[in-house]
Amino acid sequence: MAASLRHAPSAAPLAALLDALPAGSVWQASRIADHADTCHPSGFAALDRELPGGGWPAGALIELLLDQPGVGELSLLLPLLGGAPAERWITLVSPPLLPYAPALADAGVALSRLLLVRPPQARDAVWAARQAAASGSCAAVLAWLHMPDNTALRRLQLAAEAGATPLFLFRPLAAARQSSPAALRLCLTPAAGQLRVDILKRRGPPLARPLLLPIR
Amino acid sequence: MLWLAILLPDLPLQVFTRGLRDVPAIAITADKPGAPLIAASASAQAAGIRPGQHATSASALLPELRLHARMPRREAEALNEIASWAGRFTPRVSLSSPDAVLLEIASCLRLFGSAHDITTQVASGLAALGFHARIGLAPTPLAARWFARCGHPAGEDWLQAIDQLPLSVLEDEAACDADTRALLAGLGLHSLGEARDLPAAGLARRGAQAVRHCLARARGEMPDPRPWFEAADTFSHGLELPAPTHHSEALLFAARRLLASLEGWLQARHAAIDHCQLILEHAHRPHSRLELVLGQPCRDTAGLLAILREQLARLVLEADVGALRLIADRPLAAIARTGVLFDDVGTLREQAVLLLDRLRARLGQSSVHLLASQPDHRPESAWRQGDASCAGSPAQHTCSAHANPLAREHKGLHVRPLWLLPEPKPIERADYVLLSEAERIECGWWDDHPVHRDYYLANNTGQALCWIFQALDPPGRWFLHGYFA
Repeated sequence: MAASLRHAPSAAPLAALLDALPAGSVWQASRIADHADTCHPSGFAALDRELPGGGWPAGALIELLLDQPGVGELSLLLPLLGGAPAERWITLVSPPLLPYAPALADAGVALSRLLLVRPPQARDAVWAARQAAASGSCAAVLAWLHMPDNTALRRLQLAAEAGATPLFLFRPLAAARQSSPAALRLCLTPAAGQLRVDILKRRGPPLARPLLLPIR
Repeated sequence: MLWLAILLPDLPLQVFTRGLRDVPAIAITADKPGAPLIAASASAQAAGIRPGQHATSASALLPELRLHARMPRREAEALNEIASWAGRFTPRVSLSSPDAVLLEIASCLRLFGSAHDITTQVASGLAALGFHARIGLAPTPLAARWFARCGHPAGEDWLQAIDQLPLSVLEDEAACDADTRALLAGLGLHSLGEARDLPAAGLARRGAQAVRHCLARARGEMPDPRPWFEAADTFSHGLELPAPTHHSEALLFAARRLLASLEGWLQARHAAIDHCQLILEHAHRPHSRLELVLGQPCRDTAGLLAILREQLARLVLEADVGALRLIADRPLAAIARTGVLFDDVGTLREQAVLLLDRLRARLGQSSVHLLASQPDHRPESAWRQGDASCAGSPAQHTCSAHANPLAREHKGLHVRPLWLLPEPKPIERADYVLLSEAERIECGWWDDHPVHRDYYLANNTGQALCWIFQALDPPGRWFLHGYFA
């Protein structure tokens, strides 16, 4: 024992040795679980200041209301998606267009974590979004659903809470008039090269003035 | 040595009632015609039906009574299944036909704690398999079997306990023939202790030495070697439903029994599976098959059960199901994993794979994809759909922008939109305001899809930033190809 201590490997060979072992056979004390944060920073300081908790809420349904693709809805989420931990999926349920792999990779999103789900029926899309959010194995779930009713929205909110996963639901601007159980509702509109964000609903006092985010 | 005997009373009946939550009135007849009943379920017995009655008189007592002919083949298979499952406790398992399995547990007492702990685990495990069993413990296999049958007289030495057992236990394993038993009964004996006191010479003269041999084996005075059971290399076990059904909940309940058995078999072999097959047997039609595919080799059947639930929910059955059969023919070596102090990466990975499995089970393979980029200058060829079936977990994939030399070379040089239209859409040039210089993409002359295009960033009337191009081939039409979301 004394001999082996004297010849104890230094830190670097030890790390190499640990890496060479079969996966899962040694637990390393440095690998302590990070406790689920209640919020993920959005990557936009101006937005973080206005969001309760200083970022995207971790276990909540978040509605993003926009009328046409291309206003900057994905760029708004890129900092979150780019920082997703390696063991978690980023699940896209029924996206209206093709998420373009080279552009996402350029923006720092690991394509290997991107799970694209295109259910054949609208009913299955709600199911898939719920499963993904409730499983707790996704860093974020992005869903485009065709006219979800209030029951579906409530279920999605519960699933997001159960899995502590931010669930982003993309809906048309017209949905702003309906009530929704979502914890956070943002209207997204383009404004001369910037993204105008109106916070319709948040857990806190209402925000009168819109935010302008530099996304391009 | 310490032996644990699992005795299955009424096995001929149990092979029929195993997959049922509520057991209806069922009775089993011996397989030759006109034979009396050999077993009856509790609800049948409550109506006055007893083993030994004639089938016609039983039907007269209870018209809705279901009669089944005994199926010795299924009984043997059930015994086999229990023996393979019992391999999770000890490698030394022996069959004791027709209705018991013997486990030698002295060598694994330390692993499980105590004989009492093993007994509890065996009992709860058998309940999960759907069997009702009696358990006996003794230092010899024969005594363990006898104790399972008659119960261990409490608080006494096991040798004295044997002496108190009734003579009827001598039927077990055909230890003594009927003549010998009749002889002992004729002598007015009631317990084994009294039979042991008989003079050896007298018994030998009457051709009844078997009694003494049998007692000596039970008391450990004579060796009692047992052949060890070896579990089959593949798992294929069935379960009979007494009444055909098409209810998915009932089928799931029955399938859970088979999955519990599969789990024991996998644990005994230190194996894992990544797919298995559930066959739903119909009476007069070809069988339905369900393929259960997992994302990674797995030993615990909770994931399989979740997948099976989804598949059964959307399965359309052509006819009622009379029996189930679970087949796992390709066990894989299981990967060892250490237990963890905190929630760690391994559990997350497992959850991620489980999610993938669930989505694929319900939506089908073709609805769940991964994305990957490809080295090609043509925008529509620079990406492809990855096959999610080869994906283990998010972290196992390595394809990224860094693996793509073109992507690296282009990074920062040319911007690419986050949304791509599946097909370029013809547009009116007047609706768009160009914001950039042209980026010419002329490529693909070597295959059937050459492109000659000038790409521009442009704003549309709704102020969205678009990616549009002009085809350089005459007549030079304009197309929308993506959005910078």
